[in-house]
Amino acid sequence: MSRRGGAARAALRILAAVVPADRRAEWLEEWEGELDALESLREEGRARDYPGVAAFVAGALPHALWIRTEGWTMESVAQDLRFAGRLLRRSPVFTLVAALTLALGIGANGAMLSLVNGLLLRPPAGVAEPERLVQIARSYDESPRWDNWSWPASRVIADETAVFAGVAGYAATSLVLGRGTEAEAVPGLFVSGSYFRVLGVRPWMGRLLDASDEVAPGAHAVAVLGHGLWTRRFGADPGVIGTTIAIGSRPYEVVGVAPAGFTGVEALGTPPDLFVPAFQYTLPVLPGSPFESWELSWFQLFGRLQDGVSFPTAEAAMDPLTARLRSARADLEGVRVVLARGVGLTPEERTEAGRISALLVGIAVLLLLLTCANVGNLFLARATDRGQEVGIRQALGAGRTRMARQLVTESVVLALFATLLAVPLLASAGVLLPGLLPQRVAVSLTPDWPVFAAMAAAGVLAGLLFGALPAWAASRQDVARTLREGGATRGRGRTRLRDALVVSQLALSLGLVSGAALLGRSILHARAADPGFDADGLVVGFVNLRASGRYETDEAEAAFRERLLAEVAGIPGVLSAALAGQAPVVGGHARSSVVPAERAEDPEASVEAEYVPVTAGYFETLGLGIARGRGFRPAAEEPERVVVVNEALAGLFWPGEDAVGKELGGGQRIIGVVPDVQMRSLRAPANPAVYYLMDQEERLMNPVLHVRVGGNATAAVAAVRRAMVAVDPELPVTNVLPLREGLARSLAETRTFARVVTTFAGLALLLSLIGLYGLVSHGVAQRTREMGIRIALGAASADVTRVVLGRAMALAAVGVVLGIGVSLLTGRALEGALFGVEPTNPLALGGAAALLACASLIAAWVPARRAGRVDAMVSLRD
Amino acid sequence: MVVILYILHFYLAEPDTPMPRPLGISSLRILAAIRDDVGYGLDIVAHTGMPSGTVYPTLARLKRAGLVTSRWEDQRLAEREGRPRRRYYDLTAEGRRALTEGAARAYEAVTALGPGPVEGRG
Repeated sequence: MSRRGGAARAALRILAAVVPADRRAEWLEEWEGELDALESLREEGRARDYPGVAAFVAGALPHALWIRTEGWTMESVAQDLRFAGRLLRRSPVFTLVAALTLALGIGANGAMLSLVNGLLLRPPAGVAEPERLVQIARSYDESPRWDNWSWPASRVIADETAVFAGVAGYAATSLVLGRGTEAEAVPGLFVSGSYFRVLGVRPWMGRLLDASDEVAPGAHAVAVLGHGLWTRRFGADPGVIGTTIAIGSRPYEVVGVAPAGFTGVEALGTPPDLFVPAFQYTLPVLPGSPFESWELSWFQLFGRLQDGVSFPTAEAAMDPLTARLRSARADLEGVRVVLARGVGLTPEERTEAGRISALLVGIAVLLLLLTCANVGNLFLARATDRGQEVGIRQALGAGRTRMARQLVTESVVLALFATLLAVPLLASAGVLLPGLLPQRVAVSLTPDWPVFAAMAAAGVLAGLLFGALPAWAASRQDVARTLREGGATRGRGRTRLRDALVVSQLALSLGLVSGAALLGRSILHARAADPGFDADGLVVGFVNLRASGRYETDEAEAAFRERLLAEVAGIPGVLSAALAGQAPVVGGHARSSVVPAERAEDPEASVEAEYVPVTAGYFETLGLGIARGRGFRPAAEEPERVVVVNEALAGLFWPGEDAVGKELGGGQRIIGVVPDVQMRSLRAPANPAVYYLMDQEERLMNPVLHVRVGGNATAAVAAVRRAMVAVDPELPVTNVLPLREGLARSLAETRTFARVVTTFAGLALLLSLIGLYGLVSHGVAQRTREMGIRIALGAASADVTRVVLGRAMALAAVGVVLGIGVSLLTGRALEGALFGVEPTNPLALGGAAALLACASLIAAWVPARRAGRVDAMVSLRD
Repeated sequence: MVVILYILHFYLAEPDTPMPRPLGISSLRILAAIRDDVGYGLDIVAHTGMPSGTVYPTLARLKRAGLVTSRWEDQRLAEREGRPRRRYYDLTAEGRRALTEGAARAYEAVTALGPGPVEGRG
């Protein structure tokens, strides 16, 4: 038998529990008979018109539910509803507390679900038939990748009209809009003429770009405004169409406005505000035209499948297309065209977003379980108090299942009420979530109907979950005994159940609290982390040199550098300053292949190293000591082409030898070796790196200013910003910050988890303490008589307190022990977000356990003390 | 969502009076399938193209309303082939009548709507 068949049979057995016992065997036999027949048909290949096994078996649930509810009459259901409503109204405080508790859990789940929905499930807004879109990427036979295309290659792919109804491409960029003090950097897209047609987007106003806008490289400067930019900067003025705006150094004619809500096809990043033809794309640094070169891969492609072409068919058609591409260019050997369904996230991003979402949803579900346990406990406590009522109703002939149904109805009604309460919480998710995420998200995360529906379902499930407990307890109740004992039933089973609930609550919240502690320690650790240089007292500023279009020659650029460094050196408190192509961790990253000169012909020998062009004072400014050799002198004093490498590269190319004096394949002499610096990320080990002298290199896109100050880096930011503007008032100064802040910001994922987990841990702790408090005080209230007798017989009030407290602390101890197990699991789950802390860090786990124990003690002590103060006479008289 | 729909469904159904409302299109299609000797639930699913989650509850309702009956296939036959028994459905006389009436009503409705495609909905 197939494994699938096994799973289907197991599912049927589980579903059979829903069917009333007297009809269960018959029900199961019918379904198993049909399933067996279906499987035989499939094996014989005769199941063409038949549903799949999973789809078929899915129908068993409605069938089972139908049979289960067959005997329910409208009157009895209505009666249950009325009764539930009356009961809930009768104790409004109970109802409100229970509903609010549950609303927290449901709202948190809804918020996390909005995230999954917005990021992973919902197609990009404003796009027609998004399910027919595919991403088209460049990969390699040898190593699977997900890369962009060169312009000529994109033309070959666009000719594949049998599979694609249209192929479009884009390149994201930051464009500087306006001039002088009016200038601002806005996210923009270079798009192919087919972009809007393939997406099926209609203009808000004017027209969108089309094939007629693809004229020639550099010609025809037209632009489409994003709806957001149009409203924000142009006051939604319809007269903007036909006017000219300055983008970078050129005037562009505005031809239209994109529709509201359209955010391009990428789910992550900043949504584009400006769309210009791809032919406006320029690459100032590299030689060759981006429209002729097959090496420059800057164009990201997607396509729309032809009607009737399925995704597998399209994938199969990529082989001949790959062959055509390879025959077009010899150096495309090994390149492969690959597809992914839909647009929004690349397959890698999807996996990553899936991992983060799964964690967040997991945490939210944990919180929901906790709230269910809490409310279940409240219900159990009340069921205990209501023992007599239930007993009387049973004695009057209400069947056990009827009683259980009544209780379940009550909890479902409560859960639906809680779901309503959670709606405002959820509605704020669209506003709150983006601030919480590690990365900017282009798409809207505002929940839509599927999320609300799923939340309502979660609410009902939660209701069934916590309603099942008292229902089960009630169905086991002994009528005669209950009535005899005056309703104060305290069945052992039920007490145990309540204990178990509180223990599991404590355990779950310890899991969250210790997760919060681990993340908190990670952030502290990151603040103090040693990135390989002296990060304190360092300010970095990104210089947007390319935007102005006024530094197009090497001389102009060199002069600008000199003036900028001189201006910054004049700021009081500045110790040194330098420019570099990239700043550690925070940005400007670039790599290039390097190879030792003696093995220059061997393609295997080259490695990708960090490409860091710097000015002479760089190493002093960074506080990076020279391990061997020397640092750079000013360019005028370096007649030879020289580089400095880091220890990682030296060890890779010349293990055991001194790299100083060796030569790289490009003819650069190594004059020094410096310690490794984490250039990309605080988490990853340092890459091999090569430092070049800026004046000996090609011109840079945008250099990063590094300034070392004697005092507080934050205080110096404003002065550095002023100095940059003083050198060129038209230069857009967007990003100046203390490097420490940049380092901390780079741990955004850790921060996200820290915020979410800490919030949820706080809630969880509060809920479980309320649970413990409730359990103890309810126990005390029920045992007042017993306490009175003990005190009357001479027990000291402290003894009574100790007995009650001892029992509560025993529960807390069990909760803590189990909770440490849960903590190890949450630690494992959060491992990817931890930094410098092991998931089993004893300090974090121990601290969390101690916190929980102390808090439990306080929560139990308040009602326990009340037990000790019981007035013997009063309690006995009552 | 399914749960909520089902809860609503139970609140709306009036099971004490069998088949109080005229038969819907799903019921008619199932009755027609059984009339055409499609007797097993699985085959009705394949024949009508409706989901099993609609077919089985509808069959149960039709059975309670006395429009169909069911019987098990021969236990010995199943045992000989080493598989579980299957359950057949048959039309009762009343079911046959209900189908004829329902079909006539459906035909009337279609002609009243005039020409053009009419999509059957459950």
